[in-house]
Amino acid sequence: MANVFIFPTTSLILSDLVARFGHTPLSAAMQIREIIQTPGLESPPLQITPEDPKKGLHWAAVEVPSGVRGRMSLYGPLLERAEAAIIVNNPEYSFGCMGCARTNELLVFLVRKKKIPVLDLEYPTSDEEGREFVAAIRRFLDSLPGASA
Amino acid sequence: MTRVRIAQISCGSEYSGVQKEINDAAEAVDAEVFFPDLKLADIQKSFSDFGLDVKSPDLKLSIARAKALAEGRIEADAVFIATCFRCAEAAIVRNELRRFIHENSKLPVVSYSFTERTTSGTLLTRMEALTTIARRRALLAREVQEGLTMGVDSGSSTTKAVVMKDNEIIGTGWLPTTGVIDSAEKAISEALSAAGVSRDEIQAVGTTGYGRFLVGEHLKADLVQEELTVNSKGAVFLADTQHGPSTVIDIGGMDNKAISVLDGIPGTFTMGGICAGASGRFLEMTAKRLGVDITELGPLAMEGLSHKVPMNSYCIVFGTQSLVNALAAGSTPEDVAAAACHSVAEQVFEQQLQEVDIKEPVIMVGGTSLIQGLVRAMGELLQTRITVPPHSQYIGAVGCALLASGFVRRE
Amino acid sequence: MKMYTPRYTGTVTKYVFVESPEMTPSDLAIRAYEISQGVMIKETCFGLQVTGKEEDVNRIIDSLRALDPVHIFVKDRGFPPGDTRRCRANLGGARPGYFGHEFEMGLIRFISGGLTALPSRRPDEVPEPPAPKRREGLAADRLKEIIESQES
Repeated sequence: MANVFIFPTTSLILSDLVARFGHTPLSAAMQIREIIQTPGLESPPLQITPEDPKKGLHWAAVEVPSGVRGRMSLYGPLLERAEAAIIVNNPEYSFGCMGCARTNELLVFLVRKKKIPVLDLEYPTSDEEGREFVAAIRRFLDSLPGASA
Repeated sequence: MTRVRIAQISCGSEYSGVQKEINDAAEAVDAEVFFPDLKLADIQKSFSDFGLDVKSPDLKLSIARAKALAEGRIEADAVFIATCFRCAEAAIVRNELRRFIHENSKLPVVSYSFTERTTSGTLLTRMEALTTIARRRALLAREVQEGLTMGVDSGSSTTKAVVMKDNEIIGTGWLPTTGVIDSAEKAISEALSAAGVSRDEIQAVGTTGYGRFLVGEHLKADLVQEELTVNSKGAVFLADTQHGPSTVIDIGGMDNKAISVLDGIPGTFTMGGICAGASGRFLEMTAKRLGVDITELGPLAMEGLSHKVPMNSYCIVFGTQSLVNALAAGSTPEDVAAAACHSVAEQVFEQQLQEVDIKEPVIMVGGTSLIQGLVRAMGELLQTRITVPPHSQYIGAVGCALLASGFVRRE
Repeated sequence: MKMYTPRYTGTVTKYVFVESPEMTPSDLAIRAYEISQGVMIKETCFGLQVTGKEEDVNRIIDSLRALDPVHIFVKDRGFPPGDTRRCRANLGGARPGYFGHEFEMGLIRFISGGLTALPSRRPDEVPEPPAPKRREGLAADRLKEIIESQES
């Protein structure tokens, strides 16, 4: 089983397919779960406190907006665990954790910089593209170390 | 109206750790923040109709939420727009949405750019103003002062008191703030004796400014109100422009206000928050360094040419350094005074006036409006003739006395 | 500042989405309740949320997936169901992530189609999906030719 970073990190489709084909999807939900299950100072809704954008300084400089650094503090640990990545390049309507285009640009750049296997895709818009999309993900996941097939 | 419902349009607040601060500030003024509900199809359509092709999905959502509010598809009492400080994409959206809502609805709007250091305290006055506008439209509609009322403005630098009777100012008091209540008492005594009335005769009292809660409690005031709404009322009352649009600029001792007003009610406003180099405090420092009284700084500046001295800093320390350097290099006090006025006006212009729509007449109020050099510099930057109404330094107190007369008949 | 005490520590929550001609969210819920053995099941408009210890949640999900593998989709969720911080009833509107799901659910039939087709062809026999679009611009000299041809 490989830890597969998915982009958008909130994607139902990618999360499902990675798990379905025997690997571990690294999703935003796992990070949110971890922080909301950790005691600390109360900071609803996400339990992200003003300290988290400071942790984000590890990935982005102080001149980068706080929202980018706060989001990076969520994703940074996922990036570090990533052994492969699937990137959908047109996540135009993924909000919330994926709501900031600048964070998303930085995130994709950092994934590419890691030199791990990356599969680039776009959301399918037809039956044929759907078949190709699923087959490509299957093929990519089968090629990773620890694949079950 | 009981609880005011403030629609939040934002990007990044949850991830900056400041959403709780926003909620707390709203809670403190008995308001609640909510997120306008939409469907994905609404978002896609509104975003494409609006025509501002931003890339961040949360900003697309913001655009759709603003459209739903302006078109009345979602009901709210007020709108709070907030995005991350230093994000260019969000700043464009924030400004355009503020303008869009202002032009297409009657909803009061405030916009703010936050960092992870933003606290509920910083947001409180803005939230208070938003809720006042929503809650007290009837009170704010008052255009004529009736009876015998008093207004007290307990500011960060100075305390002002005004006594009004039958739509006329009959007594004023003014002094630097030292102890909040002490200074208020002295300003009140001054105003009462100038008016020739006793305190018992006053039918209603209003307070505003930083010390409004403390002084309000001390005086058992009928109205305790933040300075944004009060100054708007005071400004259009004194300038006799109660109808139609206007812009009110108040460069204060600690922070500055710029307010777009329509029919005497603030529509959008900003409150800074920049640095001391863009405040009245810097002009005080300048006067002191030039060895003149603050009242002489204005006339002195009118004799000088600002462009002869390089001075442009939002920081009071760097600003003072430029001032000292200029004097050492042989610049005249007149030119230095003019440059200081220009520098303050420029900071306010660059950092704050971009956040509101400047509509004529532009009214300058507050103590700094008496410094002619500053008014001239602002007029040059805005390319308009600026109105400074009589008694402009008493603006908050006048607004309070005017609004407090809404409480006279209850007695 | 107020201290925060987390609830549901040590649990996971997973969304189960169903978009099937054969099965409705309530059919799915009935099946889930039958095998829940005390694990929390919450029915929603799109399917279910299952909350409990990870192994229990996975057991239920494996069993539900088997009912209609190509039409049931699963994803982790950070919050437990009904958490007031994310609940529509408290926020006045949907949590932002909801719109992302709405978007992907609009495409899910293509994924179901892809999953259905998988056994009939080996993945390596299916053509590659279109690469993310990078359109070449018109060459400057060609543009010049067009301009000149229209001017004459």
